[in-house]
Amino acid sequence: MKKRALICSLAVLMTSVAVPATALSDPLYTVVDGYKVDPNTMQGFRTWRSAACDRCHGPNQEGLVGPSLIERLKVLTPEEFKTTVLGGRLAKGMPSFGENPKVVEHIDQLYAYLKGRSDGAITRAKVVEIE
Amino acid sequence: MSMALKHPLIAGVVFTCAGLAHADGQLDRAMQDPANWAVQAGDNYNQRYSALKQINAGNVKKLQAAWTFSTGVLRGHEGSPLVIGGVMYIHTPFPNNVFAVDLKTQEILWKYEPKQDSAVIAQMCCDTVNRGLAFADGKIFLQRADSVLDALDAKTGKVVWSVKNGDPKLGAVATNAPHVFGDKVITGISGGEWGVRGHLTAYDVKTGKQVWRGYSTGPDDEMLIDPEKTVTWSDGKLVPVGKDSSLKSWKDDQWKTGGGTTWGWYSYDKDLNLVYYGSGNPSTWNPSQRPGDNKWSMSIWARDLNTGKVKWVYQMTPHDEWDFDGVNEMILADIDVKGKKTKALVHFDRNGFGYTLDRTTGALLVAEKYDPAVNWATHVDMKTGRPEVVAKYSTQQNGPDVNTKGICPAALGSKDQQPASFHPKTGLFYVPTNHVCMDYEPFEIQYTAGQPYVGATLSMYPAPKSHGGMGNFIAWDAGKGKIVWSKPEKFSVWSGALTTAGDVLFYGTLEGYLKAVSLKDGKELWKFKTPSGIIGNVFTYMYEGKQYVGVYSGIGGWAGIGMAAGLEKDAEGLGAVGGYRDLQKHTALGGSLTVFALPD
Repeated sequence: MKKRALICSLAVLMTSVAVPATALSDPLYTVVDGYKVDPNTMQGFRTWRSAACDRCHGPNQEGLVGPSLIERLKVLTPEEFKTTVLGGRLAKGMPSFGENPKVVEHIDQLYAYLKGRSDGAITRAKVVEIE
Repeated sequence: MSMALKHPLIAGVVFTCAGLAHADGQLDRAMQDPANWAVQAGDNYNQRYSALKQINAGNVKKLQAAWTFSTGVLRGHEGSPLVIGGVMYIHTPFPNNVFAVDLKTQEILWKYEPKQDSAVIAQMCCDTVNRGLAFADGKIFLQRADSVLDALDAKTGKVVWSVKNGDPKLGAVATNAPHVFGDKVITGISGGEWGVRGHLTAYDVKTGKQVWRGYSTGPDDEMLIDPEKTVTWSDGKLVPVGKDSSLKSWKDDQWKTGGGTTWGWYSYDKDLNLVYYGSGNPSTWNPSQRPGDNKWSMSIWARDLNTGKVKWVYQMTPHDEWDFDGVNEMILADIDVKGKKTKALVHFDRNGFGYTLDRTTGALLVAEKYDPAVNWATHVDMKTGRPEVVAKYSTQQNGPDVNTKGICPAALGSKDQQPASFHPKTGLFYVPTNHVCMDYEPFEIQYTAGQPYVGATLSMYPAPKSHGGMGNFIAWDAGKGKIVWSKPEKFSVWSGALTTAGDVLFYGTLEGYLKAVSLKDGKELWKFKTPSGIIGNVFTYMYEGKQYVGVYSGIGGWAGIGMAAGLEKDAEGLGAVGGYRDLQKHTALGGSLTVFALPD
């Protein structure tokens, strides 16, 4: 089962014994005029929206009940980001999105989008695809 | 510890009301004695009024902190404790601990810590509030976050019975207070943002056996609607709702994940034997995806207590486009409506309209804006009962992926769950309100069981071209549909109000002040800064001849979140005005109870 395999790999991540190679694209994101992005990053934005991350992290990722992702993504490695999103931090109120098919499928794109926001390269939360 | 009630004189009350439903004698006696605060609103009418008058408009300025209690839990503290026969019952947000405290010594008599899966926290995004306990039949009722309803022995805290009211794995969690009416404990469900199908459920006080469940959407029999007998306001009169009134108002089987949850405060008129409450938003927040009126989300309901059958229902916001949940409390009061003495139901909806209905028949009598900023509709057509939506604020018309700007009120409404108070002498309603507007951008979303099903991005900010604050406290004439006075507040007033026979009005603020103000004009008489922002409801009781007023502090809830929205500095210059950053100057997290009294 795909789901089970995912949870196993998470367990590995959390003990930080081995970090599997990620499927991050190179470059991570492409952005024009601060809000026109490549299809990959656009998918990350759609994933952000559909999982309703804004309810805790704010419409502009600046934080509400949950922390500012603009700040957190300056600190978290891509692997730590994945662990947090897919495994959750239940005690702190961060849900596990490990059973959300859209988030699981597009976790790298989600990272690309949020990293772009955190880096300041993507200057507003709402992006559009480069034409 | 003794659970004996102090006023045996009022025991006769039980017999006068035994005709229609089996009343709980202990609860009725406890409610009749104003020394107690035996139910969340002080009475079954949701009036939040106390007959106590030792603390009055003249001496309230001398009020002092008498004692305090830390709940040991952070996050938002809504609701209030109960006081029955010299014992105070204190509840907390998740993990929903309960303390019984002896008022004589302030010793903890017992503590109950339910074991709940912490995964529930995530389902409750963004705050793990709980609106309090209920009492009857020697039991304390706790509606836990994970949807389990616990009945505890009021003397020991031991679980007498437990029943599961929903499946938290599908997002069906709970924040509401259970309410005991007659011999039934009534409870609801949350999860409108997870596609949960709302219902109201009655359990037997003694055994926990389910007596009835009425859904908000779906087939008539599952809603306990009789197509011929259940009536609604239409074309200037009450007419039967007809067959499949809900099914016809949804596309395909969307009603199955259609929301209409029931997490507000309920009220009960024992003469009519009717239970009143509101249903929440239809799921998703993207209106284009769910054509139709989406009945009976966003509605006021009157159900028979014994059977759950619906006597009447009225939909305030057909086909919601703004997340204006209809769950706010229904206040029952006998008032003058347009010159006629009326058994009224008064409701301040999230959509910004204050509704007055005939609670016996369900007739619509008054529907007026209780915040002048409200702009999404011009008015409610009194004949059809439907709001006249302003096209440019219609997120349905503007469609998915279009940001509709400047809608007032914001999704958290001109008022949210924070309950208002009715003062029988002035005949007015005292209402804690929000003064917040929003931008709303719906987008396409697919339903996945157990995952968020929101489908809109929102940005909220103080109402533009006003006083700059995010709240008002108002006095409201529900017979005329007019604001009598309005007192601006820097932040949303998210605390339940209390009025007393001492002619004082109390409420808390998000900065953490408990305020006492004049009923006449809202002038401040006294205030005290409690340890954290207040989203709890003010309550009062008497112990050994002394009146006390208390309130939880503990910032959180959607208010905290609402505050935080709209930080983006480029949002047309509105964003940086008020907001969370500002609130952070005033308060921090922390759950506690502060109790006040006059000096000896």
